[in-house]
Amino acid sequence: MPPTAVGELVNDSGSKVVKEVEVASAVEVASAVEVEVEVEVEVEAASAVEVASEAGSKAVTESASETASKLASEETHNPDERSDPPPSNFQPGAQPRISRKLMEMLQGAACYRAHDRWAFLYRVLWRWHSGEHDVISMADVDGTRLHHMVRAARHEEHDMHAYLRFRERPEEAGAPRFVAWFEPAHDVLPQVAQHFAKRMGKTSWMIATPEATVLWDGARLHTGEALARSAADFDDAGESLWLTYYRSIFNPARLNADIMHGHIRQRFWKNLPEAAVVPHMVTQAAAGARKVGQLDTVGKRGGTTIPISSEKAAPERQQPSSLDECRRCDLWQNATQAVAGQGARRAKIMLVGEQPGDQEDLAGKPFVGPAGDLLDKAMDEAALDRRTVYVTNAVKHFKWEPRGKRRLHKTPAQKEVMACRYWLETELETVAPDVLVALGSTALKSILQTGSVTMKDYMGAPFEHEGRWVVVTYHPAYALRVPDRESRQAAFAAIVEALKTAQQLASGGTAPGL
Amino acid sequence: MELNDKLEILADAAKYDASCASSGAPKRSSEGKDGLGATNGMGICHSYTPDGRCVSLLKILLTNFCVYDCQYCVNRRTSNVPRARFTVQEVVKLTVDFYLRNYIDGLFLSSGIIQSADYTMEQLVAVARELREVHQFRGYIHLKTIPDADPALIEAAGRYADRLSVNIELPTQDSVQRLAPEKNVHTIKLAMGNIRLKLDEKENEPKAPKFAPAGQSTQMIVGADASDDARILTTAETLYGSYKLKRVYYSAFSPIPESPKSVPLAPPPLLREHRLYQADFLLRSYGFQAKELLPDSGNLPLDIDPKLAWALTHREHFPMDLNRAEPQMIARIPGIGIRNAQRIVELRRMRQVRWADLARLRCSMKKVAPFIVTADYRPAQDTTPSDTLRKAMADVPQQMALFPELQAA
Repeated sequence: MPPTAVGELVNDSGSKVVKEVEVASAVEVASAVEVEVEVEVEVEAASAVEVASEAGSKAVTESASETASKLASEETHNPDERSDPPPSNFQPGAQPRISRKLMEMLQGAACYRAHDRWAFLYRVLWRWHSGEHDVISMADVDGTRLHHMVRAARHEEHDMHAYLRFRERPEEAGAPRFVAWFEPAHDVLPQVAQHFAKRMGKTSWMIATPEATVLWDGARLHTGEALARSAADFDDAGESLWLTYYRSIFNPARLNADIMHGHIRQRFWKNLPEAAVVPHMVTQAAAGARKVGQLDTVGKRGGTTIPISSEKAAPERQQPSSLDECRRCDLWQNATQAVAGQGARRAKIMLVGEQPGDQEDLAGKPFVGPAGDLLDKAMDEAALDRRTVYVTNAVKHFKWEPRGKRRLHKTPAQKEVMACRYWLETELETVAPDVLVALGSTALKSILQTGSVTMKDYMGAPFEHEGRWVVVTYHPAYALRVPDRESRQAAFAAIVEALKTAQQLASGGTAPGL
Repeated sequence: MELNDKLEILADAAKYDASCASSGAPKRSSEGKDGLGATNGMGICHSYTPDGRCVSLLKILLTNFCVYDCQYCVNRRTSNVPRARFTVQEVVKLTVDFYLRNYIDGLFLSSGIIQSADYTMEQLVAVARELREVHQFRGYIHLKTIPDADPALIEAAGRYADRLSVNIELPTQDSVQRLAPEKNVHTIKLAMGNIRLKLDEKENEPKAPKFAPAGQSTQMIVGADASDDARILTTAETLYGSYKLKRVYYSAFSPIPESPKSVPLAPPPLLREHRLYQADFLLRSYGFQAKELLPDSGNLPLDIDPKLAWALTHREHFPMDLNRAEPQMIARIPGIGIRNAQRIVELRRMRQVRWADLARLRCSMKKVAPFIVTADYRPAQDTTPSDTLRKAMADVPQQMALFPELQAA
């Protein structure tokens, strides 16, 4: 297998490392007291920089990445890394230990082109090794520069992903099918090549830069010396479609060229095909009389209206139920839909809850969320078949308030309960149940049509109201949210008990305790 | 009609949709595989047009024939515009050709309503299916969802697309009824709710079939009706809470040729759209609530950003001691963003935060100065009245150049 381009690049910068580090260490050493010992350590440190820089160019050579990961894993095995006091006696031959985060930052910063990059990285490593771990903090002078280098290199990589333009070569010319020319400001070609290898699949391509060339043959990467600029020599018909798109997607009524220039740095424009049409687009938009969004060449074409009547154009929709159109209170505004009751048309038992919750609001059915699951469990326990009862809510629209990105249930006000009473009455008339189970205080207030009642006066004591039995118990949601386990179990048991009582009453029995 | 002509018409018709994001897709790679395309979760802007907008996707309509008569839309049936329609193959070819040349990260496909909602949605799904299944395209796909379409079609769309979006169009039900007579807020909300249920299902059962991994978004047009910013932000907040939207896009109404009398002739200031995006960001990421930013009805101030506006009306929280304040409160200080708030919290674990640290973090010093206390700094005039501060910090009014764009060009 021929050495990959990436491998060569690494070797190249690797040798640079050694040279520049030597210079740096000489300077450092001159001012050091324990010369002999420190020199030893520095040699080790230098090799770490070397590793960092190799990994920095994301070397695909196995040995480098192995060493790098070894170095990184050694670090993670050291639990005392943070609290380590600065080493007072350096052991000759000791491996410098650095954190994974620092390793990543050194890798990133190593791609940044600067005349003193290796000396600087060495200084960072040295300070870290001396226990100055805030050297990687943004609030440190060196840390600021390190962050800046990492960011600039990453930015360059990103810009190259964005602004590199391939041109297609004619089929008969063979591989590479696509070619590109780019002038990166930092040494990011190896990682950019990886990006395009993932993106282009088995299509062959070549990226030429002033420093090096990478070729993807459809299966693997090859690197070579810099080639002369060649991409401009190819005529690519596909480019004219792109220019058409670029002109059309621009909205002249929103002209704001400063923002565009703020995003794409000046040096990239000369290799972007769209650069050729920008000045004309800007002048047209600025000087033209048409302050509309439409492109002028589109406006000049002949148009057509579509002869169809508004009745025919409107989609056929299910007629909204009158409940869907209810505007008796304002709750409809923030809800998805009204949730009507569900169950047997002539049920003997009607369960009345408070209002739909988050899940009910989306699904359009009552008691399908977590509280619904608990109710199902209670009904199982009470041997009550959900299909034989009618389940509904006192209020048909979900009342909630935003909490972060979630909807927080909010208890409906009595006036909303009363506004919705109309719909409960309709259901009572149609279903005509013998027994009502009020799940929670809102249901009770709706049934009794007054806000000044409390649950505890009615709990466990069924009573007759308007010719029906009313059994009062907790809302299943209460049994879910009450904090301690015992109260939760007690609440669940009370619900089961109430359901059993309701069943007894519905089959003509008398309520216990009466 | 030539492909080039169709592209000119159907890209022109699609430009009013503000979204061009390509982020949030799961990692995909074509290395060593047939087909093409990769995603890594982060979107890439491949270019910017002179309106300052990013070009990340091939954003086109399948057709701009449309039977609806939405007053603000250039493609409404009564509008005298040139009409065109792509074939499925043409959209696929354009997407692949553009993708291989690295112009785009994927496709954003929308359409005018032809025949019926179901028929239109089927056509959109057909393009996505062809790209994914025949061409093994692993780039980004965003499909506009027609709210009245059959839920089964929306489910199919979610299998192929990374993102789905249903446009809410306008901030209030009344405005939709008046300006988009064929649309219906109720069915729009049902469609969004339906998408959210599918997203939840996928989240809870990882083995469920793929469904729109980059989530759903929507768009609201600003300035085509009389709704104020308070109304717009409350509606956005409601949508975020109810349907787990990734984004609400605000699109300043753009004047269209032969504009009907029902919509304004002049566009709203673009700055208003910008302030809404800033406020939206505060809702999504900073824990602000719409009613904190705009307690009463009305609009966001144009001269200062919404966070500064909030701080100036809540001086009781300030000056805030950076060495003691709650982490989430630090991000509420004008001039300090979420990232810097995190860095400050990290830093103060090691040592006291000082004035110079903030400069190194590149905080906007002029902006933070009246609102903070550090180990070595306390604002001299923390009693400066809010309106004085506001004048000092407002974006400085500039005299307009005669031909700014000509000079820029």
